[in-house]
Amino acid sequence: MAGDHHTKLSRREALALLAAGPGLLLLRSGPLRAAGASGPADADPDWSSRNWGYAIDPAKCIGCGACVRACRAENHVPVGRFRTWVERYHVLRSGEVHVDVAPGPNHVFTADVGVPREEIVKAFFVPKLCNHCERSVCSQVCPVGATYTSPDGVVLVDSKHCIGCGYCVQACPYGTRFINPETHVADKCTLCYHRIRHGLQPACVQACPTGARLFGDLNDPHGMLTTVLSQRRYRVLKPEMGTHPKCFYLGLDREVV
Amino acid sequence: MKPTSYRHALLPFALLALGLATAFGVRAALVPDTFGDRGWYRAAAVDDQAALAASYAPPTACAECHDDKAALHAKDAHERVPCQTCHGPGAEHVATNEVKLPKPAAASDCLACHQRLLARPGPFPQIDRRDHFKLVGVKDESTPCTTCHDPHEPLFLDRDRRQARLHPLIQRCRDCHLGRTDETLVKPADHPAIFECQYCHGEIVADFKQRPHQRVPCTTCHLFTKESDFAGRIVRDADPRFCLLCHRAGAFRSVDAPPSIEWPSHRDDVSTGPQDANKRCVDCHQDRIHLRRADLGAAHGG
Repeated sequence: MAGDHHTKLSRREALALLAAGPGLLLLRSGPLRAAGASGPADADPDWSSRNWGYAIDPAKCIGCGACVRACRAENHVPVGRFRTWVERYHVLRSGEVHVDVAPGPNHVFTADVGVPREEIVKAFFVPKLCNHCERSVCSQVCPVGATYTSPDGVVLVDSKHCIGCGYCVQACPYGTRFINPETHVADKCTLCYHRIRHGLQPACVQACPTGARLFGDLNDPHGMLTTVLSQRRYRVLKPEMGTHPKCFYLGLDREVV
Repeated sequence: MKPTSYRHALLPFALLALGLATAFGVRAALVPDTFGDRGWYRAAAVDDQAALAASYAPPTACAECHDDKAALHAKDAHERVPCQTCHGPGAEHVATNEVKLPKPAAASDCLACHQRLLARPGPFPQIDRRDHFKLVGVKDESTPCTTCHDPHEPLFLDRDRRQARLHPLIQRCRDCHLGRTDETLVKPADHPAIFECQYCHGEIVADFKQRPHQRVPCTTCHLFTKESDFAGRIVRDADPRFCLLCHRAGAFRSVDAPPSIEWPSHRDDVSTGPQDANKRCVDCHQDRIHLRRADLGAAHGG
């Protein structure tokens, strides 16, 4: 890598050195860095031509929480925070909508909501996660460029560069971000980026026992995801926000926001 | 009057040079390597993210060693439940056999999927533990699910589920109504609930309602799973172990109902020779369930 001969400095050290004078410029100057520095060996050589997308079939979701537990184990998500979760909707005869999530660290629903059965018109589960928006609000508001869209269309957080200001947490219309209480930087679903770059499926997709979660390449015209989206009716969450989410919900009930 | 010296004019240039040097210095120190190579972010962060270690092994990894369990698992109702959904992340176990994976067997583990909930899709098998125990006559409330059900083979299907018969989902009027629609069904509001077994299999259901199993839903034995918007797969289960899910004698079970059977001693007691060694319950007790289509003299309509 062309930048390897540069002195590596933390921001703290750099600021201290700066106080000594602008001579540092000499240390940091050098030839232009080569674009697209090569990373570790990829199992997927065409990775940068992908545009990863996600689809959810709520009618298949049984609300078991296997996805949530798999995500927690795969990504070491701290207890009490979620990169993905399952919402349970109860629509009442009065038009009122009850939404809840499963209690406890295992994210298991053990009982119905405390409303008489005859009051409930319909009930269903809706899994939620980062929508990996094409026009992601979180990336726009990040003051340091620590949130970005990868070449293969995944919205990621650079945890080494993030300053933990929390603007992105507030900006996300879907509430999918949180400040990790252990690392103190922004955290969110990465579509298990470390798995998908090596040809595996995200942990939640792999763990789902009913196939309610689908993952695939939107750039592949014959791919599973493009096929499903060309055959089924779907909508995205909060289209009025103009974020162009890439998480598609098949046949979603109108009560879901 | 001409100034005697121009040295004072150099001062702004010197200050400008110093300012620029400071600005570039600050920028160079604060902007990390590879920032801006691909966009307004640190390009190396993408590779950092991709280099994280996975906790879940690839779904195909388990069958490479546990091929016996995998074969059993692939033919029964849990066929689509991935191994690691119950056993937890297995990458470490695949790397070193020192790490053992849990074998979850508590009722709460099973009920994460199978607890009866209003929000759970109707066709998905789900129980209320109290009702289920009452139905099959289990006295001891703490009986774990695994006493009767093997998680790898929960229903003891007697044929491979992937080869089960395709059954249509009744959706269009003409699927049932050949020719003119019955007068009473012209108004959609008067239409009975769609897709109940007796609409097509009336004779068998009528016979079934006369016999001891009448309270058992058809789909308990004829397991139905929706495959697409138009079809599902249906299996007829007649493996003796399936019958024994309800009828097996055990200390935890009530003596009254359903009748308790000692197995395989019951088969041995009534056996008349080696030809009976593989006899199934239904070979003798079909009259307890319902007559077969052939016995009723009806031709198979579909």
